Amino acid sequence: MSVTGERSMGNYAKRRVRVGLVIGSGGIKCTAAVGLLKVLKREQIPIDIAVGCSGGAIYSALIALGEDPAVTEARTLVLWKDLFTKLHYRSLARALVPMVLGYHEQVGLVDDRRVWSAMQSLFGEQTFADTKIPLLVATTDFRTGDKVVLESGRIADAVRASIAIPMLLRAWEVNGQLLVDGGASNPLPIDIAIREGCDIILAMGFESHMNANVTSLVNAIGRTSTIVTNHLLRSTFAFYSVAHHAEVLPFMPALDRRIGITETQHIPYLIEQGERAAEEQLPYLKRLLAASQGDPS
Amino acid sequence: MSGSGVALVIGSGGVKCAAAIGLQRCLDAEQIGVDLVVGCSGGAVYAAAMALGHDAATAADVTTRLWTREVTARPDRAALLRMLFPRLLGFTERFGLRDDTLIMDRLQQAFGDATFADCRIPLFITATDFHTGEQVTINEGKIVDAVRASIAVPFAFAPWEVNGKVCVDGFLSDPLPVGVAIREGGHVIVAMGFESPYQEKITSGGRFAFQLSSIMTNNLLKASFAFHGLAHHSEVLAVVPRFSQRIRLFDTAKVPLIINEGEAAMREQLPYLRRLLKATTGTYPKPSPAT
Amino acid sequence: MQVTIVQHDHVTVVAVAGSIDALTADSLVASLNDELIAGRVRLVADFGAVEYTSSAGLRVLLATLKEARQRGGDLRLAEIRPNVRHVLELSGFTSILKCYADVDSAVASFPR
Repeated sequence: MSVTGERSMGNYAKRRVRVGLVIGSGGIKCTAAVGLLKVLKREQIPIDIAVGCSGGAIYSALIALGEDPAVTEARTLVLWKDLFTKLHYRSLARALVPMVLGYHEQVGLVDDRRVWSAMQSLFGEQTFADTKIPLLVATTDFRTGDKVVLESGRIADAVRASIAIPMLLRAWEVNGQLLVDGGASNPLPIDIAIREGCDIILAMGFESHMNANVTSLVNAIGRTSTIVTNHLLRSTFAFYSVAHHAEVLPFMPALDRRIGITETQHIPYLIEQGERAAEEQLPYLKRLLAASQGDPS
Repeated sequence: MSGSGVALVIGSGGVKCAAAIGLQRCLDAEQIGVDLVVGCSGGAVYAAAMALGHDAATAADVTTRLWTREVTARPDRAALLRMLFPRLLGFTERFGLRDDTLIMDRLQQAFGDATFADCRIPLFITATDFHTGEQVTINEGKIVDAVRASIAVPFAFAPWEVNGKVCVDGFLSDPLPVGVAIREGGHVIVAMGFESPYQEKITSGGRFAFQLSSIMTNNLLKASFAFHGLAHHSEVLAVVPRFSQRIRLFDTAKVPLIINEGEAAMREQLPYLRRLLKATTGTYPKPSPAT
Repeated sequence: MQVTIVQHDHVTVVAVAGSIDALTADSLVASLNDELIAGRVRLVADFGAVEYTSSAGLRVLLATLKEARQRGGDLRLAEIRPNVRHVLELSGFTSILKCYADVDSAVASFPR
């Protein structure tokens, strides 16, 4: 016990700890979560709550529904090919010539219909009530900038809203709110897991790489957006981890290359790096779980 | 840093940052000293003015001459062409759509050749390193260079090099850099920050981009402030003026209103601030000699 | 996790080895607090042999940082390994306290 009364473990040594899994935004890098899920299954680490944001929501939802990570791995390659590779030409035109074709809040360069059918093939008509463990999905209200957490209704709607990356996918309306990418307000929503009473939080997040050379306006915009996103990730992580007793284990795969959202050929590498990140934190995680169960190992 | 006053942090907010003049007026009237000042983006202008010892009237004058439409009206035509034909004409990261000669003139008029060494109290100005994305804290060299770097709004003004780093607007890394005040030894911290406005209607790609930018930087502002508030050993007082009308980027006609709102917002916090300073002065003793 | 304390003229250097996490942080903080209570409030934490830190570990360290500052001193860090530095950056620590490449610079940073 310190002079200020701060204790590192809190009082939870006396009861079973609640473990939360949070998978944050990161576009195609979220496929690294498959590696983490495989390791968790192998080590039989129990997860009590799943929280997802943006691309991460896909994997949080699948684990909440009880899908075997091996099945998820097989699906993943096909899934990402479908999600972001087809452009929606009318939207593209609208983005370039707003005054002629009429600008719309709901603009998106990617073909919506394929994304929606991907959502349906993943989740069908399943709702949050069908999950084996509680699932919570982070989104952003595009009009007010507020964080909006979805925990009921159709899973396909919630995930579709959460991955609505501005400019790529159009916003999605749920219960009268126009929702977009959760990453715009809260890229790694560990606050949600804290609110749900988690003691140990496994947080898989992704920092964006800076693009190497700024040689066009698009690059410059990308660079600026990356800078702010990374700071938003850090400041939210810093605040949530200092504000509460929960132990937060960050799983941030080390990537040696910048990976664009359509570069599906890197998925095996991403999954491998996800596994590596999991293996690195595993010893400490197991010690933590053992200690909380009163096992002096 | 030893002192019985406050550490002041003025965040980004364009012309709204003039509210800091009102805040300064209030503290002056109450004879509460400012021991250290940190400024980011628009806030850097006022932080510098305060650190150099300019009074409120001079600072107000600087504002009205700085935040005019003309300052960003002149497009940099060469830059415009480079944006459209990047490969042909060579687009570089030192890109800005606006000609910055006018703003440099105005900054020069305001600060001349003054350097950080000329400041009466420690001054820290923040910018963002465009290569690494990290926050850059500037506290030496010419004030004009530091302020120009801090207000290098992406795409509007070209980045500015300071101490070998290509810098852009400080707000990208943290719109309200309370961390700097903490790190530099501030005790009671007064922080004045501003949220970016949300769009009423999104009718163009530009507005869409602004909306997205506001969403992200407002969330960054809040999370960063929350973290620093928790991490600090003493109080961080948020002074947030309530503007009854919408203030647009160049509403210099509203400067008197802005200044008054700043003063009112500080006045509201005064009773608590006085109690705080009274209670804490004398509780930061010089450490005892090593035994 | 091991802690070694060396007194310099006006600064106390606390060298830490191993992992600073939820399971070990309490003993680190106990050592640091002993120094604070004895009036030795200018602390440098030598992280050269720290292999791992977690948010719970850092949280407890933060409590000590605040306590040192409230007593007129400070806690500064030296020789941080890259992986640990990454966690410190993620957790906002590099924004609120001073970090140095080596212990000597950290010690010299305190005014005499």
